[in-house]
Parts: sequence; structure tokens; C-alpha cells
Amino acid sequence: MKAQDEDRILRVWTPVILRTVLAAAGIVILIGLVGMTRIPGEYVDHFHAVQAGQRVSDYGTLGDLLGRAWDGDPRSIMTVGLMILTLVPLARVAFCLLFFIKDGNKPFIFFTAYVLAGLILGVMLGRIG
Amino acid sequence: MFKILGGLLALAVGAGFVGSLSGLGGGVFIVPALVILAHVPMYVAVGASLISVVATSAGASVAFVRDGWTNLHIAMVLECATVTGAVFGAYLAGTIPAWVLELLFALTMLQSAYFSFKKKGDDILPKGSAIAERLQLGGELPNPGGEPIHYGVTNLAAGGSLMLAAGMLSGMLGVGAGAVKVMAMDYLMHVPLKVSSATSNFMIGVTAGAGALVFLARGDVSTVIAAPVAIGVTLGAFAGSRVLPYAEVQWLRTGFVAILLLIAIEMGWRALSGI
Repeated sequence: MKAQDEDRILRVWTPVILRTVLAAAGIVILIGLVGMTRIPGEYVDHFHAVQAGQRVSDYGTLGDLLGRAWDGDPRSIMTVGLMILTLVPLARVAFCLLFFIKDGNKPFIFFTAYVLAGLILGVMLGRIG
Repeated sequence: MFKILGGLLALAVGAGFVGSLSGLGGGVFIVPALVILAHVPMYVAVGASLISVVATSAGASVAFVRDGWTNLHIAMVLECATVTGAVFGAYLAGTIPAWVLELLFALTMLQSAYFSFKKKGDDILPKGSAIAERLQLGGELPNPGGEPIHYGVTNLAAGGSLMLAAGMLSGMLGVGAGAVKVMAMDYLMHVPLKVSSATSNFMIGVTAGAGALVFLARGDVSTVIAAPVAIGVTLGAFAGSRVLPYAEVQWLRTGFVAILLLIAIEMGWRALSGI
């Protein structure tokens, strides 16, 4: 497939992916933020702790975080929303990788796979560091 | 609570608005705003900023991609360099002292101010370098009045090297480093300025996303700060993009260069005096 034809398909689907994940993240963050306004002192105490330089977050494992969010903990819900937000570029790159694999465009399979691996390495380095 | 939340939202909306009008992105303004005005530690400001940069990039790049301004093939090739830089930059940000980050931030502001003044016209090549042609990196510039204008791409290695530096700055400082990215594509690779800006905006999301993932996985993102900042910066950037067509460009540019210089002085002073 020519670059122009690839472009035409990517230009249709990339905005759809960006908008969908962005909207999902925004809704989850807003739900968490509204939930936090219902617990007196929670927001202010945490904000002052951050200003004082205390460790800002301790999510535990992803399972713990999702469990707390499911139970309605507003801060965990907001964290899940932020995680969904950081998945926007990951989802876009993953889509491009699948597209190039289907198209058999070897150089761009390599480029997109490298970027995806870099994003995953980001999570691993954060855990190690 | 509403006083703090309202204050953070106001700072973020303002940063997003100014960042969108200036074309430099909200990260350049939200990091100093959080450090100087909200008295938040530098690494917390950087983590919040990285997440807001992902949001604004995704929101703003939709129209550019749809209308054909973004060169998706160039973006994917250069993202290899920016992601590598961003991951190691974000990793290093957790290990180097705050004053070094503040000094680097001040220097980045000076570079952005310099670039804002030095923006030049397009130098379009009809044919690109052999490797760029093989990868089909050239593109067509939308031309509402007639046939699309073809442009070639060159200096891929030099552009990629500067992208690596842009990625490191992004990961360390929580900014999109859009000025460096545009400079690499426009000056070195001869990509038309509007295509460079749109492609840079698109790439910023991946670069900042790579850094944000490191911060999130390390637990260095404060949810109570990052959430309102992400929402505020996105709203501000949206408002800015609506106002931009009616704004006087030369006055805007002069005003933003002045703001960037003031931020550079303030952050530089904080770094050198150890505040």
C-alpha cells in the first residue's frame, strides 16, 4: 500500500481513537473529583501533605488500585482516570502497529514496535526506579 | 477545598490558554505556576504537567490529523528517538537534584524564547534524501486554492538526534519540548513550518506519555494535583485555540517572549539560590 493510502486510513481512525480514550479518561477523572468533594478534609489534607514534600502516592499493585476504585474510593478512581489518559498515546501506537502488520510495511512495523516497547519500558523503569 | 481546587483549576486554565495561544503548550507555563504560585515540589509539578501535556496533545491533534497537516510517517520514525529520550529523562528526573531541573527548565525557556523570535518561512525541497524517500516520509501540503504542494524531507539523522534531546527534556522537565521538535523538523529536515508544528503537537503526546508512565508507575503523580491540572489545561487549550484566529500574532509573540524570559529568570534564580 502507498504512503498516501496508508495516511488516508490512519487519518480517519487516529482521531476516533484519540477522542474515545480522552473522553473515557475525562469522565472517570470527573467522577473521582466529584466523589472527593463529598469527603470533608480529604482533598485539603492530601494537598498540604504534597506541599510538605511527603510521598504523594502509594497505589500498591494495579489490582489493589482497581479494587479500591471499584469500592468507590475517589482518589483511586481519579488515579485510574489518569492512567486511562496516559493510555491515549499507547492506544494510538498499538493501533498503528496492528495496521502496519496487516499492511506488511516492515520498516514501520519496526518503528511502531520500538515506540510501543519504549512506552512499556517506561512503566518498568518506574517500577524499578 | 474549593478554594484550593478553584485556584489550581484557574492556574491550569490560564497555562493551557497561554500555551495554546503561544504554540508552546501548557507544560511550559504550568510547571513554574505550580512551583512558584502553588508551592508544590518540582517533581510533583513535572508529573502533573506531563499528564496534562498528553491530554492537550490528544485534544489538539485531532483536527490537524483529520485535515492532513500532520505527517504521520515522520511522526512515527522520529518518535523512536523522542520516546527513548523521554523514558531515560523521566528516569533521571527521579535521581537528580531539584536545582538542576530548575536550571535546565530556565535554559529551555530561553531556547523557546529565542526560537519564538527566530521563526522563519518555509524552505520546501521538491525531493528528499535517499533514506527519507525510501521510507516515503515526504508529503503534500494542503493548498485550499489549488493542487497540493509536494515536499521532501532530509537530514533524518540530525533531526533524530535533536529529537532525542527533546525527549530527554520532556521526560525530565514535564514540558512537551515542542519548540525543539519544531526546530528539528523545520530547520534541519526542511519540513514546512505548519506541518512541523502539527506533527510536533501529535508527537508530544507520545513523548509526554512515555514520561508520564514512568512517573505514574513510580507513584510520583499526585492525583489531587494532576487531575484538576489535566482538566484545566485541556479547557484552557481549547479556549485558546478558539481565540487564536482573532489574535494579533506579532503582539502575541512579543508578549510570550517576555513571559518566557521572566519565567527563565525566576526559575534560574530559584535554582542558583537553592530556594
